[in-house]
Amino acid sequence: MKLKQLLVAVGALSVLSFAQSASANEGGIELKHAEISVTDQAQIRRGLTVFTDVCMGCHSATYVTYKGLIDYPEIGLTREAVDELRGDYALTEGMRTDLSAEDAKGSYGKVPPDLSVIAYARKGGADYIYSVLTGFEHDPKGIIPDGNFNEYFPGHRIAMPDPMGWLDHDKEDTAQIEKDSQDVAAFLAFIADPHQNQRRAIGCWVLGFLLLLTLVLWRLKVEVWKDVKH
Amino acid sequence: MLNSMMKTKIFAWVDRRTDAGAIIKSQLTEYPAPKNLNYMWNFGSLALLVLVLQILTGVFLAMYYKPSAAVSYGQYTVAFDSVERIMRDVNFGWLIRYMHAVGASAFFVVVYMHIGRGLYYGSYKEPRELLWIIGVVILLIMQGAAFFGYLLPWGQMSFWGATVITNLFGALPVIGEYLQQLLRGGFAVGDPTLNRFFSLHYLFPLLLAAIVGGHIHALHVVHSNNPEGIDLTKEEEKIMFHPYYTVKDAFGVGVFLLFYCYFVFFNPHAWGYFIEVDNYVPANALSTPPHIAPVWYLTPWYTILRSFPDKLVGVLAMGGSLAILFALPFLDRSKVRSARYRPVFKQMVILFFIDVIVLGYCGHEPPTPVLKLVGQVATAYYFAFFFLLLIVPKFEKTKPEPEGI
Repeated sequence: MKLKQLLVAVGALSVLSFAQSASANEGGIELKHAEISVTDQAQIRRGLTVFTDVCMGCHSATYVTYKGLIDYPEIGLTREAVDELRGDYALTEGMRTDLSAEDAKGSYGKVPPDLSVIAYARKGGADYIYSVLTGFEHDPKGIIPDGNFNEYFPGHRIAMPDPMGWLDHDKEDTAQIEKDSQDVAAFLAFIADPHQNQRRAIGCWVLGFLLLLTLVLWRLKVEVWKDVKH
Repeated sequence: MLNSMMKTKIFAWVDRRTDAGAIIKSQLTEYPAPKNLNYMWNFGSLALLVLVLQILTGVFLAMYYKPSAAVSYGQYTVAFDSVERIMRDVNFGWLIRYMHAVGASAFFVVVYMHIGRGLYYGSYKEPRELLWIIGVVILLIMQGAAFFGYLLPWGQMSFWGATVITNLFGALPVIGEYLQQLLRGGFAVGDPTLNRFFSLHYLFPLLLAAIVGGHIHALHVVHSNNPEGIDLTKEEEKIMFHPYYTVKDAFGVGVFLLFYCYFVFFNPHAWGYFIEVDNYVPANALSTPPHIAPVWYLTPWYTILRSFPDKLVGVLAMGGSLAILFALPFLDRSKVRSARYRPVFKQMVILFFIDVIVLGYCGHEPPTPVLKLVGQVATAYYFAFFFLLLIVPKFEKTKPEPEGI
């Protein structure tokens, strides 16, 4: 009976926290949903290619080492493929752009942020990344120049100039750009925490074990307490 | 199991030199506890468990963490790097770090439930005043430890949270400015702040462990309150702590670990409540985040602070809202302990719990005029609750308490 009351209280609290987190999502524009999977090796690999071909022109992911591209089973590139990617950089080095901070400031007015943990550093994560990449439009007010207006970027004025070529793209390219953007969002969502799949896999065993343990402890409690009238 | 262990030769050897047998008897196997404790009495042992988890995981994190705000690459610093190294390169570092981060929030969940139980059943009343007061000291040290710890990853919310809170000390007259610089180790939050916060973050849990010892000692002198709030005089109303409450606490631990491990393994950020989104952005003294809020467990007090237009008044109110907890046993003079037999107090204390949740919500959200007003009303009730306790016993018709259980 008392246990029931406690469970009800815990349930009510979790409902409350859900409601709170839903309302915490702020009154901004609703993000587009990115179809991604952080366990899909093919998608993460495609995303890596987009990352090295497009993003790395300006951005780094300094916590992702070239060695990691071999070691993480979700990417699992061969040594030869990584050697080709890294050129003269050491295996243990992070993936860094060749664009210097000074040059970036000169061209774009600011240094592009590192993307190692970007999926955790923005509300919406992969959805946000996908939305921003495919959110370049003409400013309806005509104030912000083309290429700097983004529907999903807070304040709409973005320094990053339309990397995927979304603005005024041909209709037949829409699917491809959306696919590339989702792929790179998947890659970034994966590298934000490269042990996340291992974590969830272990978690299932841990919760399963705890469920059994708790069940046993519950029966033990009932057994020990059966002679207590209360 | 305990019995057979106590019959071994090794135990006899230790017992002759430490009196371990007498301690086990007086604290466990012959320590009497009320037989009617409900599951709300589980949170004390859970708090102890989380404290141990926090200290253990913290010791291992400190082996890899580097408290330095020196720039490493781009906007990253040595401190931020070391946290990411723990997450990526240290074997099971991600587990240790998420256990520690989730543990911080779990600690407050458990302790707030524990405090709420004490409030509801009048566990702060005679003869348990000092037990309550030691508990409030524990709460304050916990909040300090959590605040120091949140700076360590050196993210945006670390940096700006520490800036806002250390700023508060500057509002105090005469010593304020000196105190603020002492805390920061300079004129602004920077590398010296990070180093001293790391040192204090390691010190406070040690204080905590010692004071928790005092808390348990004080408990074992005055013994547990119970849901009826009455003094137990008859022997048949009591049962021995071991095995009855050790096994009940163990079951509680199982239930707790299910929740805890769900968050550690499947939802370590808890929708941005346990680890805020902005804290994955490296600290930047030149860019203030649009909305600065402390982690959820400190937001009720943050709302009290924000509810006053004058900064000094706000700081004093926030300090007062915690300090008043010390006075609680002396404000409430009703002879009846449990809310079960105090109809007016029962309404008041339930409203107080809701009030603290509302305060927490207001402190977490970006301020709007409506939320500000709600926060101010909630702040008013927070203080009114304590002062009403002075007069409630004068008119409250308490229900008759049972003779025994």
